[in-house]
Parts: sequence; C-alpha cells; structure tokens
Amino acid sequence: MSLHAYHPDWARHEAIHAQATRWHKRRLLTAEQLTAVQTAFPLDFYRPQLFLRIGLFLFTVLGALAGAGLLGMVVQFNFLGTLITTLIIGAVVLERAIRGKRLYHSGADNALLYLELLGLGALIFYFVYETLSGSNSPDPTPGTARLSVALLLTLAVLLLATLRYADRLVATAAYLNALLLLGNLLLLLPRGTLLLPFVLGAAAAAAYVWFTRQLRRPERLYYHRCLGLLRGVALGTAYLAVNYWAVREGNAALLSGYQPASPQIPLALLFGALTAAVPLFYLAQGLRRPDRTWLWLGLLTAAFSVFTLRYYRSLLPAETAATLAGAFLAALAVWATRYLQPARHGLTSAPDDADDPQLNLESLVVAQTAHSAPSADAAAGVQFGGGHSGGGGATGAY
Amino acid sequence: MSPESVLQELLARDLLPPAQAALIRADEARRPFSLHRELRLLLYLGIVLLSGGLGVLIYQHIDDIGHGVVVAAIAGLLLACLGYAARHRQPFTWAEAAKAGFLPDYALLLGCLLFVTLETYLQVQYGLFGTRYGLATLLPALVFLPLAYRFDHRGVLAMGITALAAWVGVTIQPLSAFTTNDFWHSRLSTAAMLLGLGLMAAGLLSERYGRKAHFAFTYLSLGSNLLLIAATATLLDFTPGAGSLPPVVLVPLILLVCAALVWYARRTHSYLLLLLGVGYAYVAVTYVLARLIFAGYDDGGAVTLLLFYVPLSAAGVVWLLLNIKKILRLK
Repeated sequence: MSLHAYHPDWARHEAIHAQATRWHKRRLLTAEQLTAVQTAFPLDFYRPQLFLRIGLFLFTVLGALAGAGLLGMVVQFNFLGTLITTLIIGAVVLERAIRGKRLYHSGADNALLYLELLGLGALIFYFVYETLSGSNSPDPTPGTARLSVALLLTLAVLLLATLRYADRLVATAAYLNALLLLGNLLLLLPRGTLLLPFVLGAAAAAAYVWFTRQLRRPERLYYHRCLGLLRGVALGTAYLAVNYWAVREGNAALLSGYQPASPQIPLALLFGALTAAVPLFYLAQGLRRPDRTWLWLGLLTAAFSVFTLRYYRSLLPAETAATLAGAFLAALAVWATRYLQPARHGLTSAPDDADDPQLNLESLVVAQTAHSAPSADAAAGVQFGGGHSGGGGATGAY
Repeated sequence: MSPESVLQELLARDLLPPAQAALIRADEARRPFSLHRELRLLLYLGIVLLSGGLGVLIYQHIDDIGHGVVVAAIAGLLLACLGYAARHRQPFTWAEAAKAGFLPDYALLLGCLLFVTLETYLQVQYGLFGTRYGLATLLPALVFLPLAYRFDHRGVLAMGITALAAWVGVTIQPLSAFTTNDFWHSRLSTAAMLLGLGLMAAGLLSERYGRKAHFAFTYLSLGSNLLLIAATATLLDFTPGAGSLPPVVLVPLILLVCAALVWYARRTHSYLLLLLGVGYAYVAVTYVLARLIFAGYDDGGAVTLLLFYVPLSAAGVVWLLLNIKKILRLK
C-alpha cells in the first residue's frame, strides 16, 4: 500500500492542465496544442464542478450520519461500539471509493474523511478524558499535561491523514493543532503566558519559510495545494500571534477567575505597533515580490487591524468612518486601475489572462509555429480562444 | 508546479517547438503581475462602505439637509452613473457584446440600485404613487429589462426579473402578503409557478432564436427556482389554502420541471441547474414516499422504514452524482 491515497500523477497532470490553459488564454498556445497537451496528460480522475461537489458533500454527510444512527440503534447506542464500528466501516468505504471510483477531492471523499477524523478526534478525547482519568474527569483546560497528550494524539492522526490524503482543510487543521500543542506546552512553563505570542509568532514564521521551501521542491507536487494554502495560514497566524486584540483577549481568557473587562497587557505599545506594522509589511512585500499570498494576507490583516483599533478606541463615529474609508478605498481603486492600465512597475490592473496589445503575442506565436509545428497551420492557428473579462456581475459562467 | 517544469514536460513529450517554449519563457519573465481582482475587491468594499455610511449620515441629518437636496443628489448621481455607462456602451447586438471594462458595468449596476432608492424615497416621502403599488413595482421592471438588453448586463436582467416577480405578487394579492405575513398562499403561489414557467419559457426561447442566448441561464435559473420553491412550499404546507393546487398536480409538476432542468443541464453542462433538479426532485420523491409509508403503517414500522430510507436514499443520490457523466453521457 503506497503512502498516497490518490495517484500522484493526478496532481501533476492537473498542474500541467492549469498552466497550459493559462497559456492558451494568453494566446501562447494554439487550441490544437492545448488539446494535444490535454490528451497527453489525461485527467482520468473524478472531480466534478463545484456545485456538484457541494451536493456530493452534503448527501454523503447525510447518508453517513443516518447510517451511523441506524448502526447505533442496532447496538443499543453503545458509544464506543457505535463509534469504532462506524469508523472502521467509514475507512473501508473511503478507501474503496477512492480506489474504485477514482475520486480526487470530489466532495464525497472529503466528507467521509472529515467525518472519519472528527470521529477519531472524539475517540481520542474520550479515551484521554474518560478512560485514562482516575476518579474525576475534568474538562479540557489549557496548560495541562492531559490536554497536551490529547493534542499530541490528534496531531499524529491529522498529520498521517494529511500525508495520505493531501487535503487542504485537514492540512490546515494539522498545522493549527501543532500551534495549539506548542502553546499548551508553553503554558506548562512558569512564565509561559508572556512567551506565548513571541514563540507562536516565531513558530508560524518558521513554518512559513519551511512551507515555501517545500513548495519549490518538485517531489512535493502531491502536496502543492496544501502547501499553497498553508503558506497563507502561516502568515495569518504569525500576525494573529502578535495582534494586540488577540494577545489581550487571549490573556484575559487564560486568567483564572471572572474578569469584567480584559485587563491591559504588558508591552502593550509593542503589540500595538506590531498590529499596525505587520499588515503594511505584508502589503509592501506583496506588491514588491509580487506575491498574491502576501497581498491577500495584507488586505485581510489590515482589515483585522482596523477592527482591533476600533474595538478599543472609537476615533470617529462609525458612519463617518465608513463614509471616509469607503470614499478613500473607492478612489484608491479607481486611481490604481487607471494608473496601472498600461503595466507599470511590473504590475497591471488588467486581468491575468487578458491579451496584451503591447506584446502582440498572437502574431509572434503564429510566426513561430507556422514553420515548426505541423499541427498548427496558419488557417487553424488563428482560432484562439477570445480574451474574456467580466465585471459587475454582468457575466457569470456556472 | 513551476512554469519552467511544465515547459520541460511539454518539451520532453514533443508537444511544443523549442522556439515557442523560448517565447513562453520570455513572456513568463516579463509578464506584469495582475492586480485585477484585488482592485475590484477594493472598489466593491469602498462602494459598500461609502453607501452604507452616507445612508446613515443622511438619515441622521435629514432635518438639516432637506428632502429636496437628497432627492436632487440621488438623481444627479443616478444620471452620472447612467451617463458614464452610456458613454462607454458597446454597439447593440443580439449576441453577447464585448465588455468595455468593469467600471461601466459597475456604473450601470449602481445606477439601477440608485433608481430603486430614488423611487422608494419619492414614494415614502411624497407618496408619488399613492396606493398604486402595482405601478411602483412595475416601473423598475420596465426600466431595468430594456437596460439589461441594451447594455448586455445579466445583473440588471436579474434585477428586472425580480421587480417583475414583485409586480406579479402585488397585483395578485395586494397587501395581504404584508398583513397576514403569508407569502406562499394559494393564488400567490400559483401565480409564482405561472411566472416561473413563463420565465423558463423566455429563457428557452431566447436561446432557441438566438436573442441574447447568454441570458437564458439567468431566466432559467431564476424562473425554475421561483417555480420549484413555490411548488415545494405549497406541497409541504401543513394547512393548504382553499385555492392551492393538490399534491396530485404539484408532484408531477415538480418532477417534470426537474426533468426539464436535468435535460437542459445535460445540453449546456450547467451543473448548478443539474443540482437544483436533483435536489428538488429528491424532496418531492421523499415527500411522496413519506406520505405512502405513513398511510400504510400507523405503528412504529413506518419510522423504521424511514430510518432505512434516509441513508439508503442519500447513498443513492451520491451514486447518481458520481455516475452523472455516464448517465447523462456528458462529454
């Protein structure tokens, strides 16, 4: 049995298809060449269009839960008996469905995988908190060795599942679980609360570097979808670790006893400065590199920083602030759209797949391919896919 | 997978002449980074924030500003938006028109939203339409539908259809929808079903005769949704009204429309319509089975049967969706 649940070629072929389609839209590949690429690297797996995936997901969850309920009735609702039997049956169905139907993140396999992992998580917590404890069975509290054990077990399960199924949600859950485990271990230390933001932030930054490095390695192609998402999640968690709101409210939540309002934290100035600076840093990096992950995280973290500011200090009445911010954003967007219309500084406001009048690639491609490629003679070579740009909800291809 | 490694794969399979690969490589190196989506998101957020903030501000200061100024400002903005859209309009065609960019599209959409705002304002403040609510709801439809065709805008088309549905509802059952809070009652739901059928027919006809064939999807999805929601709500109504259609009519109607949706989805590869068809058909079939089961057994046996039905039917739907390509012979 190989480590990968899905055929490794599927990820490779899919990446080639996506890249070739992009080139075709940009008129760098003729329609014949695109077809040739698509036949040479067939997508012989089953992943339907988004709406069908949603339908498959919902009906699989419904069927699986109803089936589990039926099974539970048969065994008189014995908790462990129901859970373990369901998990075994679910795992067998999942593996057989992927093998037999060639599912590849098709909604049905996602649903079964998530249910399976939820069940395993419930089993682990039941085992740690009911079976292992002596007389008392306390609720999970942060900063206890017992919770660390539980988190370690779930992390192992999630990591194994990620390695085998390369599911993006599971990968994110595994990453967040690792951060939780780290935080929980820190809380076991005497001065752990003070260290928490810095250690978590550093860990997230290190994770970002590692994910990026892995993403560049061709042999990690199977996990590219996961790694691409994890890069963004790592940047987001690095910001959240030092965000003033997150630190202050997290600190208040960890304090014992009832607090009417979250108390001020030490080094408040530092966290406030970081809250303001990190989004700007992300945005600047996103535009300089340029990198879409940094850019989107910059936008998201900027929004969260605004929320943080307004949570503690209301500088302006909400309606005035919204009006001013809206006017500024709209004006900025319109100005940038016009400013970047012929591309400047390596940036453009035109869609990614738009044809570029400056380059006039089409004639270049025709000139190049007319001699060398037998499949693309001049008459057929002109039939490229038209450039397409939609806006304002005016177009929608479902 | 980096573009370079894809190029290597294609070159290794002899799918690409080396000269073209060099060209692609050069384009990858010098191609500018597109901020298209990010800028559109910013624009959208800015407009939402601005309109929300302005609305509250005006509401708070209405006594200082005066209604005339507000009306004039909305009307001015409306004219500016429509003027901008008209200045960038494309020549009319029955086919899908080329887009001049996303700013004119948004200007038209904003203009149409402002039109509704202006009309509502005039009605609330000055009672422009009096109690002729039919006219008040028909007017947007009469404005939006021609605009949608002239500017080739599906969003405006959807707004026009919505206004049309509102007009039908107000005309059929004036105000009782507001007083009894019972939207899907007898005549109203029958009218909704008829309107849905009409919209679906409009979609099919526009595609058949090539008159804005790309509008067909909007017509079909809105029309079928209206019809199916109305029919399903009537079907599941615990106390059906006097004039409402009996299940004997409703169930075949739902199944027929679902079959039509699946047929259309199969032709156009529209999975959204396919999912709609399967989903509503599932509800209708489940309803019939539940009625039959509960009519047959009055003891616990019925519940047990239903207990088996849910997982088995869900598995059946999953199987159907997994094999949909084979069943529908798609591609």
